[in-house]
Amino acid sequence: MTKRPRYGLYLLVIISVVISFFPIVWLILTSVKTTAGIYAWPPQYWPTPVTFENYWTIITQSPELLRYVLNSFIVGVGCTALTLVFGGLAGYALSRLNLKFAGFLMVGILAVSMFPPVSLLPSLFQNFLQLGLLNTYTGLILAHAGLFLPFTVWMLASYFATLPVEIEEAARMDGMGFLRIFLTIVLPLSWPGFVATGLIVFIFSWNEFPLALVLMTQNAMRTAPVGISLYPGEYAFPWETISTATVIAIIPILIITAIFQKQIVGGLTAGAGK
Amino acid sequence: MNAAYSLDHRRQMTGMSFVAPTVLLIAIILIYPIIQSVVLSFGQSSIDGSEPYEFVGFAHYAKLMGDERFWNSMAVTFTFTAISIPLELMLGIGLAVLLNESFRGKGIARLAVLFPWALPTALNTLMWRWMYNADYGLFNAVALQSGIVDRPINFLGDEWLAMFSMVVVAVWKTSSFMALIILAGLQSIPRDLYEAGRMDGMSRWQEFTQITLPLLKGPILVALIIRSMDALRTFELPFNLTDGGPVIATESLSLYAYKVIFDFIDFNFGAAIVVVQFLVIFAMSLAYIFVLRTRN
Amino acid sequence: MAIVSLQQIGKNYGSVTAVHEFDLTINDGEFLVLLGPSGCGKSTTLRMIAGLESISKGTLEIGGKVMNAVDPKDRGVAMVFQNYALYPHKSVFDNMAMALKLQRVPADEIQRRVGGVADMLGLTDFLERKPAALSGGQRQRVAIGRAIVRTPEVFLFDEPLSNLDAKLRVRMRMELQQLHERLGVTSIYVTHDQVEAMTLADRIVIMDSGVVAQVGTPREVYDDPATIFVAGFIGSPAMNFINIEPAGDYGWKSKDSSFAISDLNGFDTADLTSVTLGIRPEDIEVVARDSKTGDPWCFDADIRLAELLGADALLNLSVAGEDMLVRVGGVDHPERGHQIGIRIAPARLHAFNPDTGKALPRIQKH
Ligand SMILES: Nc1ncnc2c1ncn2[C@@H]1O[C@H](COP(=O)(O)OP(=O)(O)O)[C@@H](O)[C@H]1O
Ligand SMILES: [Mg+2]
Repeated sequence: MTKRPRYGLYLLVIISVVISFFPIVWLILTSVKTTAGIYAWPPQYWPTPVTFENYWTIITQSPELLRYVLNSFIVGVGCTALTLVFGGLAGYALSRLNLKFAGFLMVGILAVSMFPPVSLLPSLFQNFLQLGLLNTYTGLILAHAGLFLPFTVWMLASYFATLPVEIEEAARMDGMGFLRIFLTIVLPLSWPGFVATGLIVFIFSWNEFPLALVLMTQNAMRTAPVGISLYPGEYAFPWETISTATVIAIIPILIITAIFQKQIVGGLTAGAGK
Repeated sequence: MNAAYSLDHRRQMTGMSFVAPTVLLIAIILIYPIIQSVVLSFGQSSIDGSEPYEFVGFAHYAKLMGDERFWNSMAVTFTFTAISIPLELMLGIGLAVLLNESFRGKGIARLAVLFPWALPTALNTLMWRWMYNADYGLFNAVALQSGIVDRPINFLGDEWLAMFSMVVVAVWKTSSFMALIILAGLQSIPRDLYEAGRMDGMSRWQEFTQITLPLLKGPILVALIIRSMDALRTFELPFNLTDGGPVIATESLSLYAYKVIFDFIDFNFGAAIVVVQFLVIFAMSLAYIFVLRTRN
Repeated sequence: MAIVSLQQIGKNYGSVTAVHEFDLTINDGEFLVLLGPSGCGKSTTLRMIAGLESISKGTLEIGGKVMNAVDPKDRGVAMVFQNYALYPHKSVFDNMAMALKLQRVPADEIQRRVGGVADMLGLTDFLERKPAALSGGQRQRVAIGRAIVRTPEVFLFDEPLSNLDAKLRVRMRMELQQLHERLGVTSIYVTHDQVEAMTLADRIVIMDSGVVAQVGTPREVYDDPATIFVAGFIGSPAMNFINIEPAGDYGWKSKDSSFAISDLNGFDTADLTSVTLGIRPEDIEVVARDSKTGDPWCFDADIRLAELLGADALLNLSVAGEDMLVRVGGVDHPERGHQIGIRIAPARLHAFNPDTGKALPRIQKH
């Protein structure tokens, strides 16, 4: 095979990478500038001096911004755990137990997964208000779990379908019931599927906006995207704080994405290809 | 065990009990609220249930049909969708073809294009809003310093520029998602097809148009439909970038519905808006499922 | 050990019938083989006995008890799967011990029983390993051991040797034979490999599209196939078939060629207008050309192709325009292009009704 010249390829790759990274890099650069540096003319392209005073300010003076991140984390973990348990069981039953309505349920679940979240708002807000679930972790966890269960069920059901069914049948012959098979055979064998699904659901929950906006009305209960977005509304627009808080809020996602890139990409494309 | 019921029956019961929690939660969080929205949209009621529900028929819908702001939000939503999706698709295909090549640093490159998708749209939007900033934003800094313009461009203050700015953010965020789905499709194209093409003397461009594109129809369709439904319900992007402005030039359907419900506190009229939005998107999702079913 | 009785058992998947009324009693200690081409319903039948599939109609009894609605674990059956179906995340010992653990057998007894079976199968050194660290043959031994440990009333095997290479398959086949002699447990064994069936079976059930085509000992199904399907399926290479019709005084004649035969050697052809003749390649011998004029079972033949298999050779013949395959010794076999004479062994001839596919009865000679 003859090698064709590849300079063009590298040029395109570099352009794509720069464009993808640039807003994030600029944000990080902004966060380590002094306030004067941020609003300076001529503009500072490179922070001089590099300073972490904005981070220090947040820690000492605006701990609510850290609270947002904690809230996001609690809701994300809760929602992920709940969807994996519920969705795992359902996915197992739908892919393995020859349920009569399996086809109908799978299609139905796919259909409801496309409901626009804003359509749920009037009703969810009203019901959560009356049930006392506004501004509770339980409330938002349940809402997010409902929102992301369809995705979870589809992901896990298609993952289970790739496991050899005979192992589960051997377990039946050995005397296990379906719940025990699920817990002691299917779970250990499909942890890569659970990891990929769990990571994606966590990211979904971390990023979700409309429900988090409406169901958490108290400042202290807000999730990171909502809290940071609404933060400026209370004073002038403090970009030094916003950029810093945003960096803090996206760092967990950046780390997760970087470490589990393969699993996330695999899960996403498998989910979309169905 | 219990031999009174057949094996199949017991298996069905077990299966149903496994599915039940999921179905229940989905019913409570997704299905019931839609039904309740429909009910709300046909009546007059109070948020906390202190006043009795009063049936008003199609009154809210009639009002909706004559509501210019509603039609504006429909136009904004569809304009936004119609401009951003083709751009995302072209860039997505390009990126996918690029990432399908083997080169050094491919891992980093793939991670780079994954980041915009993985981060919260709301925060992405803030990053861009900062760069668009008329007084201190990066874009204006560069444009002014290099002398391209002599007065700062008010990206978010002009109707068309604001729409354009919004599209840019959406395209930046989601082209990578398109690319990943299309990339998976690309990788399922057998390599020997390209080798056969090379034997036939195809150029790179011919390979792309004769082999790659026709075989990517399926994944492209899937990506298109998923993304269109996403774009049709876009919310936090205009919420954070422009708050729908200037005036209402970038007010999407979702954003308008939100404002009616939570700013004007008119749940019943808001419900009518979300029901219409739901119908539009649900029709699309049915089309999506239909397409997938016929493909299998 | 137990008698397994299948009474009119059938299986439907929606409108598709995978198994039609299956009626058979499997004797205590018998080794029964279900044989047939892929998709004929063997696994479905076995899995209904195992309890992995429900029974659509009919009654299943094991050891005299109706088992239709009983859980697999309570049927007293153990199963060996084609793909071994070992728990990949558990050690060999845990794989073999699982059923006993679930039955709450005391730990020391589990230790003793698994140890004993591992000893018998030569697995003692591998008990702590995971299945991934075993060879194919060892994995299949673990799968068999896991079944033995439970001391079931009935063993079920679904193509247990199909994933092994040819050499290992022969060895495991013999081991299975010895195991059965030693344990004497009723066994039902599914395979599409007729050699396995012939060597292992006390009786063979040959299935064709969900229907039992014939039940018999290996000898019976080879010597007296009940249908054209069985005749064509058993034996390798397959039986030669020739369609013939009555030709007045000349006896019988082929429709498509000049092949003719004077006498059907005592088959009860009644007043059939057409008969399918069956001749096994090994029931034809090569004779000198024109040497036995007057013998109605001698024919002239042209050799179209000669294939040496080793010990044997296969001759593709044209006999009066009919294609015919003949198996001869591999030493000094006649070459392609030669003209030879052949003789069909009349006592080994088969004849079938082409419409029903059933074998024609022989007229009893006294
Ligand atoms: N779950 C199922 N749903 C529908 N048809 C099935 C199912 N399982 C098996 N079949 C059909 O039943 C027939 C018999 O299958 P099987 O018993 O597996 O054949 P064998 O083991 O002899 O190869 C086949 O035609 C197969 O397609
Ligand atoms: Mg089979």
